[in-house]
Amino acid sequence: MRYEMKDKPDFAMVKFTFDQPGEQVVVESAAMVARSSGMSMETNMRGGMLAAAKRKLMGGESLFQNTFTSSAPGETLYVAPAPEGDVEVLELDGQTPIMMSSGAYLCSAPTVQLDTKWGGAKGFFSGTGMFLLKAEGTGPVFFSCYGGIHAVDVGPGGYICDTSHVVAFTGGLQYNVQKIGGIKSLFFSGEGLVCNFQGQGRLWISTRNPSSLASFIHPYRPVQRSN
Amino acid sequence: MQPQAAQPSPGQPAAGGVQHQITHGPSFAMLRVDLQPGQTLVAEAGSMVARHQHVGMEVKMNAGRGAGLWAMIKAFFIAVIRKLVGGETFFVNHFTAPQPGSVWVAPTMSGQVSHRRLNGETLTLSSGAYVASVGDVDMKMKFGGLKSLLAKEGAFFLQVGGHGDLWFNSYGGIEAIDVNGPYIVDNGHLVGFEGDLRFDIKSAGGGVMGFMASGEGLVCEFNGQGRVYIQSRNPATLVDWLTRIMPG
Amino acid sequence: MPNIEIGYQPAHSLAKVTLQANESIVAESGAMVGMSTNVQMQTQSQGGLMGGLKRMFGGESFFRNTFTAQNGPGEVLLAQALCGDMAVLPLTPQGYYIQSSAYVASTPDVAIETKTGGFKGFFSGAGVFILQATSQQQGQVVVGAFGGLEELTCDGNLVIDTGHLVAWDASLQYSIGKSGAGWIASWLSGEGLVCHFTGQGRIWIQSRNPSEYGQSVGSQLPPRKG
Repeated sequence: MRYEMKDKPDFAMVKFTFDQPGEQVVVESAAMVARSSGMSMETNMRGGMLAAAKRKLMGGESLFQNTFTSSAPGETLYVAPAPEGDVEVLELDGQTPIMMSSGAYLCSAPTVQLDTKWGGAKGFFSGTGMFLLKAEGTGPVFFSCYGGIHAVDVGPGGYICDTSHVVAFTGGLQYNVQKIGGIKSLFFSGEGLVCNFQGQGRLWISTRNPSSLASFIHPYRPVQRSN
Repeated sequence: MQPQAAQPSPGQPAAGGVQHQITHGPSFAMLRVDLQPGQTLVAEAGSMVARHQHVGMEVKMNAGRGAGLWAMIKAFFIAVIRKLVGGETFFVNHFTAPQPGSVWVAPTMSGQVSHRRLNGETLTLSSGAYVASVGDVDMKMKFGGLKSLLAKEGAFFLQVGGHGDLWFNSYGGIEAIDVNGPYIVDNGHLVGFEGDLRFDIKSAGGGVMGFMASGEGLVCEFNGQGRVYIQSRNPATLVDWLTRIMPG
Repeated sequence: MPNIEIGYQPAHSLAKVTLQANESIVAESGAMVGMSTNVQMQTQSQGGLMGGLKRMFGGESFFRNTFTAQNGPGEVLLAQALCGDMAVLPLTPQGYYIQSSAYVASTPDVAIETKTGGFKGFFSGAGVFILQATSQQQGQVVVGAFGGLEELTCDGNLVIDTGHLVAWDASLQYSIGKSGAGWIASWLSGEGLVCHFTGQGRIWIQSRNPSEYGQSVGSQLPPRKG
């Protein structure tokens, strides 16, 4: 199975081309754009009912995932996330896991194991949601976000990132949620909470933030009529 | 891979075509048309960004060329249905310039604007993909069939043909897929198609469970030979995604 | 003068500001995406805290944050809320008028004033107003667009849909009007308000209209409590 990234970074889309029958890709619900008819699609709750429920209720991911299986060489599958933005791929080597913010997971090879991790109280305050998705194993894992994906190699100085802009980070990094500035800043700066990353690893930041988009669109929603 | 037949053009018009330029593609494409006296640019209502003072603008209902009263009434009803189903209105602006002048036009959703010089052939576009046209270009609304109403965005198609310049947009980037045998496209990602193609609207597969749970909804299965244009984002999926993160 | 580099254009543009020790950059509240750990942030509003609050109730919240690098050089990443392009505009003696949601950041020497009177109702969208940017030094202002950013040259006259305006040279004359011949035609045409510019100068436009996009997507979302 080969993959090609198209329309990066603005409206990134992944194109898979299969070389043999029986090759598979696991894809987040609603992310399929187009595919050869011969491929089969199987819907299941990855990791079983309990794990899926955990992901759905807390993580914002959907309950289901679709596994696409090829039936002949040359078949193609196009996958794209919902928001306008970039897609990044990481080839896991079986050693270093990657932590993704909820909603960032797009698709992966079946040899990648996904596990929803409880972000704890830290996760509660960070804009990334209570759960982080941990991906480990071997093979490609694709993640996406609203906006472009900017990679920062975190070194001894550490790095500060607005919590709602965290997309993913490699297992070697620890983070601490804090507020920047004083009390006045917390209320008026518009900046809210930040994650202070320490350790050695790579951090992926989104250049746009879904909650800003949600706040922008909110006033345009139809108003509920009380009867 | 840029589609062969429909290309965003950097500046020079095709022979006999109108002078135009598409800038800020492939993500936020904007079209600038330089009109000479006698040329009329027809553009989707609400899409004007800027124009020279002396370029005149007239609102009309798009009922197709040479439409009689019956066609106008039909077009009006179609416009109402489209509005209810969630499409755009079918009002267009006619821009004319007594002296040379420019009009800048942009669609609502982000993405690419593609130019196509029509020489008598027909292109089928998803309703909402139409941006503008110049020349003897005819547009007919086609109903996708009852099943397509479920698809929301797939209910109406525009059959565009004639001689002239056509511009259509995609939400996101645009990809051309050469189809030779059955191919499946998610309804919301379909921009248009041409050639000898038939299509059938069906559920994404996997039976009832698949339809309900997969999140895939309805898809369009194409059969035959031709070219299908897909867009790399889907407005309905954007709405679902936003709904999940909205405050109460 | 801080070094400002724009990446990920045109859709997801990010401004990477490199500050020398003790150098500062002023940014719109909410614009910070990331920064090195030695950058200090301070919030200020024009007219002090009360001034800021007053404007907030007037529908014109305008808090800004000043980021300063301490004990060495630092970096700040800034972005606007909506997808689109960004540009760094060097200040000219006359200055610029900037649509409020397009303002991202500026160097501390640039004076940003909220323009009132004659500008209310300028835009069809609520909560959007005009800023005037001037500087006695060679400051810079960073603007962010919704969509692509295009620089047009007004050489005589130009009519622009107000939802597409980002910034313009203060040397231009302008007046707001409706687009079509009559009100019905304007409403049918979907165009809303336009700005008639005359004179010589540059106008920056964005290729997407935020209120049109908000309306188009927002109307499909589930209703909100009133």
